[in-house]
Amino acid sequence: MTLFLSLLLNGLSLGALYALIALGFSVIFKASEVVSFMHGSLLLFGAYTTARLAADLPFGVAVLLGIGLTAGVGLLVERLLINRLRGSSVISLAILTIGVDIILVTELTRRIGSDILNMPAPWGGDVIRIGDVGITTNRAYAMLVAAVLIALFFAAFRFSDWGVAMRANAEDGETAALMGIKPGRVSALAWVVGAGLAAVAGLFLVGSPTPGVAPGIQAVALRAFPAAILGGLDSTGGALVGGLIIGLAESFASGYQDQILFLGRGFGDVVPYVVMILVLLVRPSGLFGTRELTRV
Amino acid sequence: MSDTATRTLGDEIVATPMAPASGRAKLLKMLVPLVAFAAMLAVPIFVEPFWTQVGFGVFAAAIGAIGLNLLVGTTGQLSLAHAFFLAVGAATYCYVSGESGGTATEVGGLGLPPVVGMLCGVALAGLAGLLFSPIAARLRGIYLGVASLGLVFIGQHLMNTLEEVTGGFNGRATPIFAVPGFSFGSSDPDLFVLGIPFGEAEREWYLGLFLLAAAWWFAHNLLRSRPGRALQTLRDSETAAAVMGVNVQAYKARVFLLSSMYAGLAGVLVALSIGAIAPESFTLEVSVLYLAMIVLGGLGSVGGAVAGAAFVSALPVIFQRYADVLPLLSQPGQGGLSAPQGARILFGLTIIAVVLFQPAGLAGLARRRPRRPARTTSVAPSTAPAQGSTP
Amino acid sequence: MSVRVERGAGPTAAGDRGIPPLVVRDVTVQFGALKALSEVSFTVEPGTIHAIIGPNGAGKSTMFNVLSGVYKATAGDVRFGDAVLTTLRPHQIAKLRVARAFQNIALSGTQTVAENLMLGRHHLTAAGFLSAGLRLPKATKEGRLHGQRVREIAEFLELGDKLETPVGVLSYGDQKRVEVARALCTEPDLLLLDEPVAGMNAEETRRMAAAVLEIRSALGISVVLVEHDMGMVMGIADRITVLDFGRRIADGTPEQVQSDPEVIRAYLGSGDDTEESSA
Repeated sequence: MTLFLSLLLNGLSLGALYALIALGFSVIFKASEVVSFMHGSLLLFGAYTTARLAADLPFGVAVLLGIGLTAGVGLLVERLLINRLRGSSVISLAILTIGVDIILVTELTRRIGSDILNMPAPWGGDVIRIGDVGITTNRAYAMLVAAVLIALFFAAFRFSDWGVAMRANAEDGETAALMGIKPGRVSALAWVVGAGLAAVAGLFLVGSPTPGVAPGIQAVALRAFPAAILGGLDSTGGALVGGLIIGLAESFASGYQDQILFLGRGFGDVVPYVVMILVLLVRPSGLFGTRELTRV
Repeated sequence: MSDTATRTLGDEIVATPMAPASGRAKLLKMLVPLVAFAAMLAVPIFVEPFWTQVGFGVFAAAIGAIGLNLLVGTTGQLSLAHAFFLAVGAATYCYVSGESGGTATEVGGLGLPPVVGMLCGVALAGLAGLLFSPIAARLRGIYLGVASLGLVFIGQHLMNTLEEVTGGFNGRATPIFAVPGFSFGSSDPDLFVLGIPFGEAEREWYLGLFLLAAAWWFAHNLLRSRPGRALQTLRDSETAAAVMGVNVQAYKARVFLLSSMYAGLAGVLVALSIGAIAPESFTLEVSVLYLAMIVLGGLGSVGGAVAGAAFVSALPVIFQRYADVLPLLSQPGQGGLSAPQGARILFGLTIIAVVLFQPAGLAGLARRRPRRPARTTSVAPSTAPAQGSTP
Repeated sequence: MSVRVERGAGPTAAGDRGIPPLVVRDVTVQFGALKALSEVSFTVEPGTIHAIIGPNGAGKSTMFNVLSGVYKATAGDVRFGDAVLTTLRPHQIAKLRVARAFQNIALSGTQTVAENLMLGRHHLTAAGFLSAGLRLPKATKEGRLHGQRVREIAEFLELGDKLETPVGVLSYGDQKRVEVARALCTEPDLLLLDEPVAGMNAEETRRMAAAVLEIRSALGISVVLVEHDMGMVMGIADRITVLDFGRRIADGTPEQVQSDPEVIRAYLGSGDDTEESSA
C-alpha cells in the first residue's frame, strides 16, 4: 500500500511535468499548426542554461533567466523560421523543427560533454515524508509549481485577450483575422509560452531523483508527446489529462517492474508509447481532440 | 454557341498513346541510367576498399530512404518509425541466418542460408508495418508522425530485452552474406579482378548496387502508375482521392507496408555494413537522419532520396577522414567540434535551408531545366489557388 | 478492360443505360449544435440537370459532401438505385459511378493534367502495387488503353494541348476544367458539379455551360449542379432545389422557382448573392 501511494504521488508529480510540456505542444499547435519536434532540445536548453547560470548567480535569478532565454529561443524560431512559412504543410513545418532540434541538441550535447551537470537547487536531494510515503522535495515543488502554472494558463486562456485571440484563431483563422486578430502575434506568444513551459519542466526534470543535466532528458521530453497526442493535440484540457495518465502509467510500470518482468526490464520508459498506441487505436484523434468531420 | 458543343464525347479513339516522348529524348532517358550503372560497376576497380565500404553504407541507406520517401514524400504521411523497421530487418536477418552461441551474451540462431535470412528480414519488417497499419491508416500526417515515434522506443526496448534474438545491449555479429556457391566475405572463392583482390568490401559493393537498382526501379515504376497517382493525390487531398474512388485507408496501409519492407531490406544491409547489430544503431536519431535524407534529396523524388542518402551517410565519414584539414573540426577528445557533430549541425542547417528556400531539395536543383517539373514534389504540396470570390 | 465509349444520345438514353434516379430523403446533418441540413428531400430524375441553389451557408456544399460520402448524414438517406449512398464510404460511392468535381479545386498540383485525369480511371483499372512496380505487361497495357480515353475527354474540355503540363501552373479557368474533366474520366452515371464556373469570366462560363449540356446529351447521365451563377443555372437546369439555412424552401422548374416568393425573400434577405444573377 505504501508503495502504491508513493508511486501514485510520484506519478502525479511526473504527470504534472508532462502536462506542462504537453500544454506547450498543444498551444503551439493550436496557434501555429506546428508540431514542435524541438521541445526536447528546448527543455534541455532551459535546464542547461539555468544550471550554468546558477554557478555564478543566485538560484532564483538563474531560473528566471533560464526560462526567459528559453522563451527567447522559442520566439526567435517562430519569428525567423515559422513565421516565414505560414500556411505551409504541417509536415514541412514539423521537419523544420526537427532541423532546429538537430542543431540545438548537437551543440548542447557537445557542451555538456560526458559530465553530468548538477542543478544546484536549494532543496537539493531532500525528501518529504508523509507517513511512510516519500517524495523528493524537488518533485513536490514540481507538482505545486505545475499546478499553479496550469491554473494560470487556463485562466489566461479563458479570460485574457491573448487566450481569446488564440481560441478565435484556432477556431476560424480567416474570421479572426478580419476581426483584427494578428495570427503572427498569437503564434509568437504561443511559442514563448510553449518554450517557457518546457524550460520550467526541464528545471524539475533534471532535479532529484534524476542526477542532473544530461542529454538523455530530451527523451523524457519526448514522452510528453504521447501525453499531448493521447489527450488530443488540439485540446489543452486533453494535454493535462494526457500528461497525468502518462505520468501515472510510467510511475506504476517502473514501480511494479518486478511484477511485470515478463515485459522486460525498463518497460516503464516505453509504457507512455504503449498507452498512446492503444488509445489511438480506439480514438484516432485522441481522447479530447477534435474529431474529423470527413470520413474517407 | 461555342464550338465546344459541336465536338462530341467519344466519337473516335485517338490512336496515339499518352505522353509520346520524342525518340531521341526517350533514348537519352534510358541511356543515362544505364551508363551511370555501368560506371558504378567499375568503381571497385579504381578506388580503395575504404570507399567501396562507404559506398555500401550509402546503398543501404538509399534503399531505406526510397522507402521512407514513398511514405512521407509521395503520400504525405510523416513517419519517425523508420529506425524500428530497419531494426526488425536487421535483427531478423541475424537471427535467421546466424548461429547460436556467442561469447558475451548467449544468442540463438537458425543458421539458415543468408538469402533466406534477408527475405525473412524484409517480410518480417513488412509484417511489423502491417501490424501497425491499422493505426497508420487511420491517422493523418502529423498524428502518425508522433505515434510512429513510439515504435522506435518500443523497438529499443525489444532490442534490449529479446537477448536471444538481438544479443541485447551488447548486440551480436552479423552473419556474412552469401548466395549458393558464392560468399560476400573475403574468401570462398578467392577472387581477383584485373589483378585486384575482391574482398568483402568490393563484393558487398555489388550486392548493394544491384539491390539499390532494383529498389529504385520498383519505386520509379510505382510512382508513374495507378497506385502512384493515387498516393500523390492522397497527399494533396485525401477527400479528393477518396471521392475519385481511392480506398484511402487501404492505400495508406499498403504504402506503410511497402515502406517498411524497404526499411527491412535496408536494415539487413546496414547490419552487413556495420558487421554487427546493437540497439544504438537503430535509435530515434537514425529515424531523424533518414528524414533528413529525403528532405535534402527532395520529397517525393526517388533519385533525390538516393542523393540525400549519399549526402547524409557519407558526409560524417568524409569529415572524419579529413578532419585535420577541414576548418572548425577537431580530432576526437579535443573538445572542439567532432566530425559527426559537425556533420549533424550541417544537416540541421541544410534541412532548415531546404525547407525555407528549396523545397524540392537536391532533386529540384538537378531539374532546374524545365523538363518535367511535375515529377518533383515540393515539401509543401502546392495548393491550388484559393477559391476566387464568386463573381 | 475495354474503354467504355458512349455515343451521343438525348436525355432519353438515360433510361436505356439503366441510370437510376437519385433519391434524397429527409437528410439531416448536424455538427454539434449546428444543423447544417435539416430534413432535405429531393429527387434527381435520370438524365436531367438538377441544380441546388441557395445563399452562402445554405448547406449546398454540405449536401454534396453527403452525396459523395464525405460527411455522414445524421438522419435520412440517399438512394441511388438499389444502393444506399449514406451507408457507403466515398470510394465505394465512386465505384457506383457517382463522380464529383470540387469547388475549391482539389487537384494534385505537382502532377500533370494527364496524371490527374488518369486518377479518374482509378476505379475502372486494377493495377496494384506489385504489378505496377514490376511493370507487368497487364499494368502497362491498361495504362495505355485508358490514356486514350483520357486524351479524348481532355480534348473535349479544351485541355488536349495541356496534358503534359503540371496542373499547378495552369490558369484558374483551366484548373476548373481539369476538375470537371477528372470527374468525367470516371465515366459517371451521376455527375456532381460544385460551382464549375465560379471565378470564370463570361466567355469561359458560356463554354462550360455548353460543355455541361453536351455531357448530358452525349452521355445521357444525370448532373447535379451547385452554382451561384443564376444565368447559367436558369439556362441549363431542368429542375432546381433551393436551400436556405439548411432547409429546402423550394423545388421545381426554373420558372416555378424564380417566381417563388420565399426564394425571392431568401435571396433578397441575405443580400450577398443576388448580384450573381448578372452573368
